[in-house]
Amino acid sequence: MIDLQNASRWYGQVIGINDVTCTIGPGLTALLGPNGAGKSTMMKLVTGQLRPTTGKLTVLGEMPFANPKVFRRLGYCPESESSFDDMTGREMVTMLGYMAGIPASVVKGRVTEVIEHVGMTFAADRKIGGYSKGMRQRIKIAQGIIHDPDVLLLDEPLNGLDPVARKEVTAVLHGLAEKGKCVVVSSHILYEVEQMTQNILLMHRGRLMAQGDIYQIRSLIDSHPHRIAITTRDSRRLASLLLEHPFVLSARFDASDDTRLEIETRNPDRFYALFPEIVLEAGLVIDRFYSPDNNLESVFKYLVNE
Amino acid sequence: MTDLYLIRNAIRDLTRPKKLLAALALIFAPGLLVYIMRFIKLGNGSGHGHGHTAFNAVDIYSLLSEKVVFGFVMVILALVFCTSVVAQEVENRTIVYLLTRPIPRFRILIVKFLPALAATLITVWLSLVFTAIAAYGFSGIVDSPLTRDLKMAPLGVLAYGSVFLLLTTLLNRPLIYGLLYAFGWETWVPNMPGSFQKLSLMAYLRVLTPHVTSEVQEVDISQAFSSVSQDNISHHMAWVVLAGTIVVSFVLSLYFFSVREYVPRDAE
Repeated sequence: MIDLQNASRWYGQVIGINDVTCTIGPGLTALLGPNGAGKSTMMKLVTGQLRPTTGKLTVLGEMPFANPKVFRRLGYCPESESSFDDMTGREMVTMLGYMAGIPASVVKGRVTEVIEHVGMTFAADRKIGGYSKGMRQRIKIAQGIIHDPDVLLLDEPLNGLDPVARKEVTAVLHGLAEKGKCVVVSSHILYEVEQMTQNILLMHRGRLMAQGDIYQIRSLIDSHPHRIAITTRDSRRLASLLLEHPFVLSARFDASDDTRLEIETRNPDRFYALFPEIVLEAGLVIDRFYSPDNNLESVFKYLVNE
Repeated sequence: MTDLYLIRNAIRDLTRPKKLLAALALIFAPGLLVYIMRFIKLGNGSGHGHGHTAFNAVDIYSLLSEKVVFGFVMVILALVFCTSVVAQEVENRTIVYLLTRPIPRFRILIVKFLPALAATLITVWLSLVFTAIAAYGFSGIVDSPLTRDLKMAPLGVLAYGSVFLLLTTLLNRPLIYGLLYAFGWETWVPNMPGSFQKLSLMAYLRVLTPHVTSEVQEVDISQAFSSVSQDNISHHMAWVVLAGTIVVSFVLSLYFFSVREYVPRDAE
């Protein structure tokens, strides 16, 4: 449904995306990358707001830029919170429904349906200017799906949503994907994406770094040493206990804080499984325990060998 | 229905309290100036005998309709309303919703341009009517040049509106460039000697709406310069140039809006 062949986009000297080749088919796909990775540029290219500087891009077999043929079958939920603040949610979705080509005879019913689908019935007749961030997200999703598009792109759709709303929106997206629609969701939060789909496109600094199943990519990442920071009053004893295990590669003490220990392991799963047992047997008190590598930025650092 | 919703949205935007208040001020300001001038002239003429001429409706109406209504109200409104057609959607970041719908871009531009033109024209018309009433009184309107000015106002609004529409489809900050053009270029060029004035829309508009005064009073240097070659522009030429400007600017606006990328700056 979406096909990019060596597509690049530059903003003058600044790179948006660089030589990206990929195909996105039906189902739910996450476009994952830290801020500035090129996700929004890719979204804008696919939604026909921008043209690629070089390379080729087709959506549903057509070039998308200013192409009504493509827009008839494409829905887009932009990242920006800005909206038609003077309108009510219902008015906005109705106007954009008409603009999407929905016949006047059915538009009213369809608007009610999608507004209910995204859980906004209670606030549909209030001005958008008074909406919370989460409500804006939902109404944006409603306008994106009003014309039942075959391709739906959502730029950071879970931003500002509470856990319940996240679950509901994720369910809506899964429902569309199950119907055979191509749903592309961008996000910079790995955890958020893991809950949503296994199929990801990983972007960094404008380049497509990996594409495919998230677990395969994670296992690749896990072969790199994984850092874990622990804060305990008896850090030296803990370090000696941990270094007895072959999967712990090294232990390093913080020069400024003697209680802080950072270890490296090649097998984080095994480490996490055994760590509570080691600590309990030794009777140690752990004040803080976290991994600086459990964020997307570190994943990218590993992938680019930084 | 799509067009109706877009028009309704545009009208709602044009009638926001701030814009409405500004439009009302522009409608009544020239008329108010007439009353102030009438008061000053009558006061000076009757009481002090300094040689000031008495209030002359023809002079006052000519001065205010040319300099204030045509020269300021029309230009500033066309600038604000017509540049906002695209610029405001980009600034509010709502343009993405419009440009990702299965509607040809030129249609969106036309549907949004029409209410802006209508709002400008209605304000200019009302401003002219109130100025004429203030100058001539209700009974004197029939013999005033008001009817001619009302007929010519759409031409001026269309000419300036289409030029500003072109600016908004081409430039990121059309209001700034528009201000420079409207109150820099269009203020000085019509008063330049020789053929310079032919580079100004206002010069052509003045040929079609000549506001002659009953007697020559104080003439500044710029007016003296412009009067040297004012006759070089014929009525026919004025019509052709203004109509040509409208057509060319409008067609180019449609073209550029159809092929340009409109993405809010900080979102890039």
